[in-house]
Amino acid sequence: MTKDEILERVIEIVRPYAKDDDAMEVISLETNILQDLKVNSARLVDVILAFEDEFDIEVEDEDADAVDTVGDAVELIHGKVG
Amino acid sequence: MPSLRTRTRLALLVQREVGRLTAVLWIPALGFMLRFGLRYRIQNAAELRTRYRALVRESDGPVLICANHLTMIDSALVAWALGGSWWWVFNYRRMPWNLPEYTNFASHWFNRVLAWIAKCLPIVRGGKRSEVSGVLKCIQHLLSKGETALIFAEGGRSRTGRIQLDSIADGVGRIMSSVRGCQALCVYLRGDRQESWSTIPVRGDSFYVDFELFKPNSEHSGLRRSRDFARQVVQQLATMEERYFSRSGVTA
Repeated sequence: MTKDEILERVIEIVRPYAKDDDAMEVISLETNILQDLKVNSARLVDVILAFEDEFDIEVEDEDADAVDTVGDAVELIHGKVG
Repeated sequence: MPSLRTRTRLALLVQREVGRLTAVLWIPALGFMLRFGLRYRIQNAAELRTRYRALVRESDGPVLICANHLTMIDSALVAWALGGSWWWVFNYRRMPWNLPEYTNFASHWFNRVLAWIAKCLPIVRGGKRSEVSGVLKCIQHLLSKGETALIFAEGGRSRTGRIQLDSIADGVGRIMSSVRGCQALCVYLRGDRQESWSTIPVRGDSFYVDFELFKPNSEHSGLRRSRDFARQVVQQLATMEERYFSRSGVTA
């Protein structure tokens, strides 16, 4: 799976959790999930669990610590799905 | 479990020992303020403390105190309810470490000093996971060394006044899943005049306190296991809350 394909699916997963619609319109790899999209920090875990379901991967707590931006999420998923 | 850097371990040791040396001053002063300044009263305090001390004596593994959260001084109230004042002075190592919200308790240098002495590790709620993770690793380390910590199982003070099953502090599960044999001591504390959330309880309030040792189980691993643990702890507190509200004469 390419990073672009992962990015597309990541954006769709994040969309329902984002509170800033304007930031969602210009979302990119550099977009910070908590600060730019205003995703609640407790909901970030839900987002990452949704990644697990969507990509059939398992994420450890330490892996999740590295997810600040959309790009971080894409890298994490890409590293796990190969 | 991730190991802490030597410098961090040393910092925690210094913090604890300074707190211990000054405990004879600040713990009784805090107890005095709660009892006589704010005129708070713990219902069945003697029986409660006897139960807690027996549990501490018999417990053979790490214990994370997981409480409900309605006011900004809940952690002080829980500690006072479970141990009184002087027992903590003479059993200082058992005094729980706390994770207060940074902006509430440590944004001013004076509060920061007080919080530091009182075994607090301020945390920015909603902050970057990597920063929160550093504080949680300290708690994981302390629990593995036989110390106790107190953490609120909900993501913040309940805005409804009741346990919010959809507001979960994931740190609870993360700590419990990473510290071998860790059990949750679920503590439900509520003033009889506490209708919803507030800064502090009403002066003169009388507190119902109950606690139960609880060990969550999960068939999952990774992040999902941590979430599962945290969810079970909150559910346990909700069950204890139902018990509180089902007592005769108490209405929701």
